[in-house]
Amino acid sequence: MEPAEVEFLAEKELVTIVPNFSLDRIHLIGGDLGPFNPGLPVEVPVWLAINLKQRQKCRLIPPEWMDVGKLEEIRDQERKEDTFTPMPSPYYMELTKLLLNYASDNIPRADEIRTLVKDTWDTRMAKLRLSADSFVRQQEAHAKLDNLTLMEINTTGTFLTQALDHMYKLRTNLQPGESSHSQDFW
Amino acid sequence: MYQHTLFGAYINAIILLLLQRVLLLVASDVDALCACKILQALFQCDHVQYTLVPVAGWQELETAFLEHKDQFKYFVFINCGANVDLLEILQPEEDTFFFICDSHRPINVVNVYNDTQIKLLVKQDDDLDVPAYDDIFRDEEDEEEDSEDESDGSEPSEKRRRFEEVCCTGRKVTLQMWLFLHFRREILFDYEQYEYHGTSSAMVMFDLAWIMSKDLNDMLWWAIVGLTDQWVQDKITQMKYVTDIGILQRHVSRHNHRNEDEENSLSIDCMRIAFEYDLRLALYQHWSLYESLCNTSYTSASLKLWSVQGQKRLQEFLADMGLPLKQVKQKFNSMDVSLKENLREMIEESANKFGMKDLRVQTFSIHFGFKNKFSASDIVYATTSLMENIEKEDSETTNFIKALDSLSRGNLDKLHQGLDLAKKQLRAIQQTVASCICTNLVISQGPFLYCSLMEGTPDVKLFSKPVSLCLLSKYLLKSFVCSTKNKRCKLLPLVMAAPMDVEQGTVIMVGIPPEVESSDKKNFFGRAFEKARGPQGAVLPAGPGRCCPAGSVHASSTDSPGGLSPASKRCLPAQKPQTIIELKTEDRSKFLDALISLLS
Repeated sequence: MEPAEVEFLAEKELVTIVPNFSLDRIHLIGGDLGPFNPGLPVEVPVWLAINLKQRQKCRLIPPEWMDVGKLEEIRDQERKEDTFTPMPSPYYMELTKLLLNYASDNIPRADEIRTLVKDTWDTRMAKLRLSADSFVRQQEAHAKLDNLTLMEINTTGTFLTQALDHMYKLRTNLQPGESSHSQDFW
Repeated sequence: MYQHTLFGAYINAIILLLLQRVLLLVASDVDALCACKILQALFQCDHVQYTLVPVAGWQELETAFLEHKDQFKYFVFINCGANVDLLEILQPEEDTFFFICDSHRPINVVNVYNDTQIKLLVKQDDDLDVPAYDDIFRDEEDEEEDSEDESDGSEPSEKRRRFEEVCCTGRKVTLQMWLFLHFRREILFDYEQYEYHGTSSAMVMFDLAWIMSKDLNDMLWWAIVGLTDQWVQDKITQMKYVTDIGILQRHVSRHNHRNEDEENSLSIDCMRIAFEYDLRLALYQHWSLYESLCNTSYTSASLKLWSVQGQKRLQEFLADMGLPLKQVKQKFNSMDVSLKENLREMIEESANKFGMKDLRVQTFSIHFGFKNKFSASDIVYATTSLMENIEKEDSETTNFIKALDSLSRGNLDKLHQGLDLAKKQLRAIQQTVASCICTNLVISQGPFLYCSLMEGTPDVKLFSKPVSLCLLSKYLLKSFVCSTKNKRCKLLPLVMAAPMDVEQGTVIMVGIPPEVESSDKKNFFGRAFEKARGPQGAVLPAGPGRCCPAGSVHASSTDSPGGLSPASKRCLPAQKPQTIIELKTEDRSKFLDALISLLS
């Protein structure tokens, strides 16, 4: 999967906005949205929220986990544990990037939030690399990882599976003569 | 008539009901660029389709209109078109609408009093001094008595044409009508005599955005740049500038009050605008202080930097402030922090001793990110030099679009390119001014001063563009006023000529008002140039000139050359005042003679 595809999936998440226009309910294939009344908060998917924000038709309200105190707790928790801790949202990285790119004036202390989320991400990636490394070294057959988000899986997924594939091929070729079908593997 | 608050409603009507497209005709100056940016942002919010056409003069305006008049019903003119009778020149269809947002004054009376097709965007408190309707246009009943026209239109332009026909054909006129015509002529003469500038179009557009509640910090910044452009080009009085700064200051505090709040401060990437009582030195934060002192017209003229004594005075000035030469000649950002801290106050104190009382000026600066800090005048210089870039052989439209792009925050590389070009331009201007003064190229022709640049002068190609030539002439006049001892010459206006296109043998000429302390920046050269040229373009058919401030001659109209009688001059095709014109080189001396006899 491309990271852009993962971001596309993340844009379906709901976020609260405060519009400054009014519109009746709109019926889309994926569901209904609205009605929009000026000054009243309403939940919309992120793709619509970003579009409306760029056209100056709404004000974004950051999700409740996007707060300096909470993110500090999450980051410290992540650093303490050896395994992965649950994240506030399965798309926390994409949402942070999108919201901070387009609506950083609606989010208080945006720079600190960016730093905290990046710290958390780095810790989790380090853990992922470590576990992948030990997996390969000990030639395990399967592994189970909880609380990983799609973006993190996507960064290592392709590389890991292809690397394991190659290693398997190399390993089977180490036993010469036992099977003359080695050429079939190519 | 004035349609300020309804413009928003009109635009909404356009998108929701009619889904029409709009044609934007934008003049070539920084104020127009800024207004255009604001309008483009508003259009993008509401998904209004538009086409942008940059125009550099009357010819281009007419051509653009003729090309597009079949496809568009709504035209928006930015910084062009207010001071001529648009309906007569362009001859539009009945259902075309013109929206005019122009800072040129005086606005043509036909444009003001037309109710149907022409909508003017002006601020409520902008005093237009328009003559009363009854003084210029007569009612229908009186008309029908005198002429047998069956036309029933109440279009002021038609009425005016009929009056012209009446007086031209020399029909028998009643005493009442004759008196009316006489007074009308006087009133129009006074009204259209001098031209000047009103509120910047960028500020009017920002006002519009504010009324529609769609104003952003970005648009506020563009409004600031538009106003600063008017100040840099000396188009408005100091009083008006300070008033407008006050108005913008209120908006700035409204948008930027969160910067002081520590708890919820904005991300560093967000744009912040700050009010500053900054130095008047051009580009000093992107240059070295020494270079900036040498190349700003104010300091260079006051210290007389073209002479040897001037250079000595500069050294004294720097020594007085206690700034070592080595520090001052390096890039401003690398200067010692201890020196930079109190720089403004130090410079102001020393400047007062050397006779430069206005070295500090109220302005705004913007900063975003950790590195990017610009003052409004920096942006003005950079954008002007991008717009009139002669280095590459790009078309004018490409340069226009590049300059337009450089106003967005995302195009910093273009902005830096513009800053480099601006430094070159300022240096070239200073060197040309110095050489003109030292070689006494500025001569008094009687009613005005005249200076002509020869073809072989270094950097003369830079001055083939209107705005650069205007800047050069203003700096030259300032320096000349400081250098000459002749009291009478100090009060004269200046006419400047430079070669425009060597192959075609054309010359570009510009006229600017005199440099006086309490000047109201009113220019009469537009009308004077027009008359000196003659009725049918005796010198040359109207080339690409710019619609700049103009005014008529202060001599009585019976003295106009070519024996034009006062009555017949009103029969001419619609007049287009231009303070910047293009001539053929061989016609130059004839034109000058005509101008001298006109003005003396």
